[in-house]
Amino acid sequence: MSGPDDMQGDMPEMTPDEILALDLALGALPREERRAAQLRLRSDPAFRALVEGFEADLSPLDATTDPVLPPRSVWEGILAETAPQPVRTAAPVSAPKPSLWNSLALWRGLGFAGTAAAAIALVTAAPQRQPLAPAEVATATPEAPPQMLAASLAGADGTPLLSATWDPLRGTVVITPAAKPEAEAAGTTPELWVIEGDKPPRSLGTIDISGPNAHAISSQRIAGLQPGSTLAISIEPMGGSPTGLPTGPVVATGKLSAI
Amino acid sequence: MHGPVVRAPASPGAAELVQLLGRAADGDAAAFRDFYDRTSAKLFGIILRILPDRGEAEDVLQEVYVTIWRKAAEFDSTRASPVTWAATIARNRSIDRLRARASRPAAPLETAHDVADAAPMADALIDTMRGAASVHAALAALEPRQAAAIRSCYFEGLTYEALAEREGVPVGTLKSWVRRGILRMRAAMAEAGATA
Repeated sequence: MSGPDDMQGDMPEMTPDEILALDLALGALPREERRAAQLRLRSDPAFRALVEGFEADLSPLDATTDPVLPPRSVWEGILAETAPQPVRTAAPVSAPKPSLWNSLALWRGLGFAGTAAAAIALVTAAPQRQPLAPAEVATATPEAPPQMLAASLAGADGTPLLSATWDPLRGTVVITPAAKPEAEAAGTTPELWVIEGDKPPRSLGTIDISGPNAHAISSQRIAGLQPGSTLAISIEPMGGSPTGLPTGPVVATGKLSAI
Repeated sequence: MHGPVVRAPASPGAAELVQLLGRAADGDAAAFRDFYDRTSAKLFGIILRILPDRGEAEDVLQEVYVTIWRKAAEFDSTRASPVTWAATIARNRSIDRLRARASRPAAPLETAHDVADAAPMADALIDTMRGAASVHAALAALEPRQAAAIRSCYFEGLTYEALAEREGVPVGTLKSWVRRGILRMRAAMAEAGATA
């Protein structure tokens, strides 16, 4: 390296992707650029690998950070959110619980908080299967068309927010919120996207998530939907994204799997 | 592309954390609690440097462990150490929170730090410590302002723009400092790893 490094951002030894990966891993990007780079992590494994490489290189710096014992209340809070059956017998079942929708302000456009190491919030709700006899396991064929597909869409922190089930016979996608969503900001609407492999997100249209709803989606749009594709929901202006690509924050994602 | 950096072999402590995460992924709450006990003070320290407000940092710490619980199955020990994986989640979540604000109030950086707790450090952190020796040697070899800029971005979560303003240097210059500095650190660490 020559001289005191004042070449005004000219970095011939790095590709633009490497520079972006470094900036993201370091945490130096402003909000919009950071969000765009985080979105890219989920569809671009090569880029993700670059980011993870820089994260690993920088992580030894953390050794100089003094540990600070958190108060006990933090663990209690974690327990309350992760326990499968919280002991809250006094609360009526129907009482609206202080939901993550509120606490994470997901619908306020605060955005997608993914991480490089765990970029894809992938929660596949394992379907309850009857135990199969060994012989049946051996002969079971995965492809029995038409196939129903389902995805559990989770926020960036992995919290399941809603489930989406694609019924090919009816040509509908049924969206069921896992928690009661906060009202969207005025003038915005959630929009459903499918991300297939490395292709850019494809819109499946705007959706209503105020309660369980069946959304008819044209067969043209739905063509090619298959297990492994990622569903994502972004917050867009009324009427849907003006550009054909997500323009607002991605608030939930999940992978489609066959059920 | 750069050559892969040689990483320290996982210590028994790291291997234990990998096991704990694996059990947590299977729904073992006790294993998760153990993982929390061994790592939470470290993660809280990292979060506090970016978000000095104690209450906010506690919120983020809670979110981070809920995330770890839900994503434990995604952890891949061939790609990262468990401490790095968890610390990365903590850093990213803290920076996301920081960015979500319109602007950052001038934070009294050091006052918010309590003294280090007396909790025994998890064995796994020793891995990080080993790496730390080489990363700090690498940092020390940089120009002081360059090293300081890297530290400010990494520990405080500052953007290039904010740091350039604070330092009174053009953004382009600062970006160049930082990026070149990190490449040099990486090269020095790879060398140290190769000759160790």
